Amino acid sequence: MKAPSFDYIRPGSVDEVLELLATHGDDARILAGGQTLMATLNMRLSEPELLIDINAIESLKGIELRQGALWIGAMARHSHVEDSPLVAEHAPMLAQAAPHVAHRAIRNQGTFGGSIAFADPAAEWPACIVALDAVLHLAGRQGVRKVPAVEFFLDLYTTELAADEVLLGCEIPILAPGRAQVFQELARRHGDYAIVGVAAAANLRGGVFHDMRLVFLGMDNTPARALDVEQWLEGKAPDEQALAQARQLLDDVLQPSADLYNSTATKMHLAGVLMGRVLRKLAETA
Amino acid sequence: MELLGQQLIGANRQTVWNALNDPDVLAQCIPGCEEISRLSENQLQLRIMVKIGPVRSRFAGTLTLEGINAPASCTLVFEGTGAAGFAKGGSSVVLSEQGEQTRLEYAAKASVGGRLGQIGGRLIESSARKMSDEFFSAFQSVLSGGTDAGAEAGTLGGVDAAAVPGARSGGAPPSSGQAAPADAGASAGGPAQKNGAAAGRPASTRPAPAEAAPMLAGWRPELYRAFWFCLGVFFTLLVGRWLP
Repeated sequence: MKAPSFDYIRPGSVDEVLELLATHGDDARILAGGQTLMATLNMRLSEPELLIDINAIESLKGIELRQGALWIGAMARHSHVEDSPLVAEHAPMLAQAAPHVAHRAIRNQGTFGGSIAFADPAAEWPACIVALDAVLHLAGRQGVRKVPAVEFFLDLYTTELAADEVLLGCEIPILAPGRAQVFQELARRHGDYAIVGVAAAANLRGGVFHDMRLVFLGMDNTPARALDVEQWLEGKAPDEQALAQARQLLDDVLQPSADLYNSTATKMHLAGVLMGRVLRKLAETA
Repeated sequence: MELLGQQLIGANRQTVWNALNDPDVLAQCIPGCEEISRLSENQLQLRIMVKIGPVRSRFAGTLTLEGINAPASCTLVFEGTGAAGFAKGGSSVVLSEQGEQTRLEYAAKASVGGRLGQIGGRLIESSARKMSDEFFSAFQSVLSGGTDAGAEAGTLGGVDAAAVPGARSGGAPPSSGQAAPADAGASAGGPAQKNGAAAGRPASTRPAPAEAAPMLAGWRPELYRAFWFCLGVFFTLLVGRWLP
């Protein structure tokens, strides 16, 4: 199938984009990497009147260190994140997660910011940036506002990003010494949407976990932070007994909806197994 | 998938019953409802713009009331089709008096198919629940006249099947054919399908046409004619675009 007809514009600056969004409102959609939007248009599940292509805006690209934090521009491709030595050094969780984002051909085109703004509940980056305590920069006509990732995802495909705002990029605290980050996920085939995934970070001092971050993807409408389990693991040694108890606790924290292939019980089982693996890996890495 | 739920509404039973049967009220509450009109005493015609994530698609369909036992119970049956697929579902609704308030209980079944079912199947259940949240918070605020009673009742209602262990039979079998119905809540359902947890969220951002409704009342026959004309144009365009 082919997309319905639409107007196309390729502005060179964020200000122009904001102007266009203000003028066209809901009839306009922003085109980043197009890996979801174009498929939706080709299936005629959406018929916007105007596509605003932001691929020519240089200021949205690039991965760099800014004021002691790792900055990933909204238009950084998944493959740039995957290949970046800066990401591997300062946010290894993202380097681990990148190969799980669909396939390389899609990663060459799809963007970091596109995935975050779209907020698919099974996407990798939203869960990662919540686990990394990242801060998102959103540009509007009133200026730039900074929203912590943990407050950004509101509901299914619903975020803090207003219809007249543009995501500029993501500011990620760099990896502190003694802290470990692990990302793992389970999918039916490599590159599929995850059934469940875990993004986790923790310090291991004196043989016990501190300051745990444990965020699940594919288990709720938004990245699901297992706060109770995080708190319970504070000061616990990563032995099998603690892991088993953490898993029991997890049953009270998550209540995933079944999907076409996996029941709630299956998802909970897989989440428990995966959390065990991730916590063991964290203990090895830290 | 079957969604079960209940909702405590701050109005008496007759008011709630009338509201459920009032196209103007439904038009304000159904997320994305663009057109609603009465075909016969027990049948409504509606057009809905479904906006979930990447999907923005129109559905046209009918909502029929069956097994009417006013003002206590009825069954709502919805069938709709759009460019993106089809949706159908049914829901039994029971209203019971609880002091000054009314308890609304429902059990809904729904399915979607076509392209929407193909690509949307993964998230249909969450989508159905999200739309039901929107419907009930809007229904609540319309009935309570936008007072605090709505917010209070909102926190009480909405026990859906997902939260009740054992209430669900688990995942649906994988769909085999392209257009195999995805077993889930239709995104384009009538009020019957807008069920699930009612979070005490602010009502939908759609401006409530509070003043528009009475003003339009006298013009309704004209509006109906205009609606049917538009529908004719819409289908002509649709057929013109698809058949050649």
